[in-house]
Amino acid sequence: MSRVSLKIVGASGQGINSVGEILAKGLKRAGYCVFGYREYPSLIKGGHASYQLDIESAHAIESSELQVHALITLNHHGLELNLQDLKENGIVVHQTPNWLLKPEEAALVRQRNIKLIELPVDSILARLGAKPILGNVLIAAYMWAVLGQDKELLKTMVGERFAKKKDLLELNMQCIEEGFAYADPAHGKLSIAVPEPRDIWKDHLLLRGSEAMGMGAVHAGVRLYAGYPMTPSSPLLTYIADVQNKTGMVIKQAEDEITAAQMVSGAMFMGTRALTATSGGGFDLMSETLSLNGITENPTVFVLAQRPGPATGLPTWTAQGDLMLAVHTAHGEFPRCVVSTSNAQDSFELMPIAFNIAEEFQMSVIVMTDKQIAEALYTQAPFDQEKTQVLRGSRLASEDQLPALKPTDRYDASAVDGVSLRWLPGQKAATFAGQGDEHTAAGSVDESAHNAVSQMEKRMRKHEALKATLPEPDIYGDADPNAPIDIVLVGWGSTKSVIIDVLRDPLFAGKRIDYVHYTYLWPLKTELLEKLAASGRKVLLIEGNFQAQLGKLIMQECGLKIPHHIVKYDGRPFFYDELRDALRTVITSDASSSRTVLETPVTHHP
Amino acid sequence: MSIQLDTTAVEKMKSFHCETKCTWCDGCGDYGIWTAIKRALSELGYSPWQVLLCYDVGCHGNMSDKLNGYRFHGLHGRVLPFAAGAKLANMNVPVIAHGGDGASFSEGVGHLVHSIRSQYPVTFILHNNANYGLTTGQASSLTWQGQPMNTNPNGMAEQTLPSMDFVFSLQPTFVARGFSGNIPQMVEILKAAIQHRGFAFVDMLQACPTYNHFATHEYLLSKCYDANAEGHDVKDFEKARYLATHNADRIATGILYQNEDIPNFYERLVPRQGKKTQAVDEVEKVDISELMKEFI
Repeated sequence: MSRVSLKIVGASGQGINSVGEILAKGLKRAGYCVFGYREYPSLIKGGHASYQLDIESAHAIESSELQVHALITLNHHGLELNLQDLKENGIVVHQTPNWLLKPEEAALVRQRNIKLIELPVDSILARLGAKPILGNVLIAAYMWAVLGQDKELLKTMVGERFAKKKDLLELNMQCIEEGFAYADPAHGKLSIAVPEPRDIWKDHLLLRGSEAMGMGAVHAGVRLYAGYPMTPSSPLLTYIADVQNKTGMVIKQAEDEITAAQMVSGAMFMGTRALTATSGGGFDLMSETLSLNGITENPTVFVLAQRPGPATGLPTWTAQGDLMLAVHTAHGEFPRCVVSTSNAQDSFELMPIAFNIAEEFQMSVIVMTDKQIAEALYTQAPFDQEKTQVLRGSRLASEDQLPALKPTDRYDASAVDGVSLRWLPGQKAATFAGQGDEHTAAGSVDESAHNAVSQMEKRMRKHEALKATLPEPDIYGDADPNAPIDIVLVGWGSTKSVIIDVLRDPLFAGKRIDYVHYTYLWPLKTELLEKLAASGRKVLLIEGNFQAQLGKLIMQECGLKIPHHIVKYDGRPFFYDELRDALRTVITSDASSSRTVLETPVTHHP
Repeated sequence: MSIQLDTTAVEKMKSFHCETKCTWCDGCGDYGIWTAIKRALSELGYSPWQVLLCYDVGCHGNMSDKLNGYRFHGLHGRVLPFAAGAKLANMNVPVIAHGGDGASFSEGVGHLVHSIRSQYPVTFILHNNANYGLTTGQASSLTWQGQPMNTNPNGMAEQTLPSMDFVFSLQPTFVARGFSGNIPQMVEILKAAIQHRGFAFVDMLQACPTYNHFATHEYLLSKCYDANAEGHDVKDFEKARYLATHNADRIATGILYQNEDIPNFYERLVPRQGKKTQAVDEVEKVDISELMKEFI
């Protein structure tokens, strides 16, 4: 028995998140790897939203299936919109009395052997004298029984959730009993076969990418956070703000993204570690500040959480459309570093690394994420804190060096790798100007041609110096390394998770598929990829954007033109089954080049 | 018998001297403000390494390499959030932000609003010459309506923004007005502003001999008077607002309003209560074991 998927649908604000969270946490504690995925429109109440849980126990999963084993719908719209999402022998739990299926729906239900059951939530709650909100626990309990899980575990969890609302606790416990009672065969037996649980998952964390990133920032020594709300960067701001009394961090909800970018630049110039995050539109506003940090060589870290544009675009959906933006935005020429997270693990790990790069090379680092990573729920091994290093930069002047410093040490153009000494306001030393105009080594304005050349070359040497320290992309694929490669996949960001999941599918048994994953996107290393692409192997790029932007960067940097593309730009992530099928088609095709555009079926358009 | 000379004060002020030559126009008000800043910092006992001076873009921004001190010369209109971020990272360093009337009341006006309402512990010096000098004399929102300016040959059509009324509408805790021709008064204003608990707004009226042909040095010299010398009570908010906004006959200068009872932004941050260290002192690998427990 392999992966199982459950999808909870209803109106935004109706409680799908509560049901989803109870089940997700319960299943994780019961011994499953859970991956949670939310879809919702950009509104607070109403609309049609979903919370999907995919579970597995044999190995980790970080992706969702399009077609699910079970649908739980909190209103009748799910019966209208989501029947097509069900696999053969799937089950539907609804709460709409006397619902009549349209003939084509009834045919679909017959054809796929889908079982429907009505859980009479309203009448059970009325009998208990409970408010509608308790329906969430009732539904969760019913599903818990259908999944064959331990009632006591659910009670413990719900007890924790309502620990501060003792008056509600008893009613909640009654709802659990009622949910289990209704799952009795007398009401029509439903069950979902789930894999055998394994203890290894029980102590894992269940968290969003944003929360992992927030913990990474805390861990990295970030002491000031300034941000302006914008989905999908807001969950990071929320998390950092929520834990402020534990971390002691300075938090500012700024008046706009320019303010946030300037505040963190000021704080970094002063010598602390500061962070801001935004999405595309907000990042556009920050780009002038990025340019300023380029010329003042002010270390800074910006999180760019992608959603589909242009403009407001699809505010609550996902995309990988801002790679070119991150690499190319802001006027003038200056070095920068662009890295991308792919899941909770590296959302955590990349934060200290980003700050270390920023401070070592005195430049801005852009950490990319997207709505999928920021808001998906990952089952994550507790983070390893041992290996983390907080490195303030080898050219940060030591206390001993301070007395001998000259103002001209700050932007000394003779620095071999372009990285000159840095020291901080308030330190007893010679002073300099962080200068937005082209400047001398001391930061005084200098418009002479020779100075402009030497300072530009000084700064741009840092690009090469950084590139020399960055790793080549990671290669995934556990096939025999000596076997001939069937295909090389290339990608970045959140698609990594679904690609790795898909490569485990029995469909690809016996195939040698190497996945080349780019975490470090700028400066871009291409040597390894060029080697793999040599000798006529099939190479396929998988990206969540229209232009295959990583492909363009690769071509720009080394001339390699990747012939096969699978792209997606409908705001949805790559789903497990759709990517598996598309990949199989490309592998078996004889075409010398191809472009596959994936579009999620209509039911995923709330 | 030789006379004993005490040069201690001179040496202090000399430490702020910088070799870069001044490039402001002859008669520019920035010379006076520049001198007053060096004197105020010297009289307060600061050395260059103990302060951070932040500059917007404009004629005043060319001061960024005309004196010593840690300095930052950033983007047009954006000096205030940069200065605020720097200050919040290290409360031990006085942070003085400079901006012109062009940047501060057009491109960066939102930052001014939120800096006042946030009550950042930062000094803001408005270099107010009522035009965009460095871009060659365009009208700013503080130019007098009807004045012919570069790009407004028929006279500025828009209303003049009532800057002081606007600032007072935001419940500031420190408002002062100086005049670039009165250095001793500017020194006293700046000393008080730098020592103020929260956000100090200092409107420095300054001559722009090249482009401002209406509020000239002579005009300001004839109109400005010292309100403090006339017994103005700096705690009287309504009187201060009245003095600041009624300038037809005489222009009140000096410290117009000061309230030391309002906590600044940093003091209001619950997580920082009782902290002995500054954010700049706290950068290290932080154990997140407790935070992880929330997610099991």
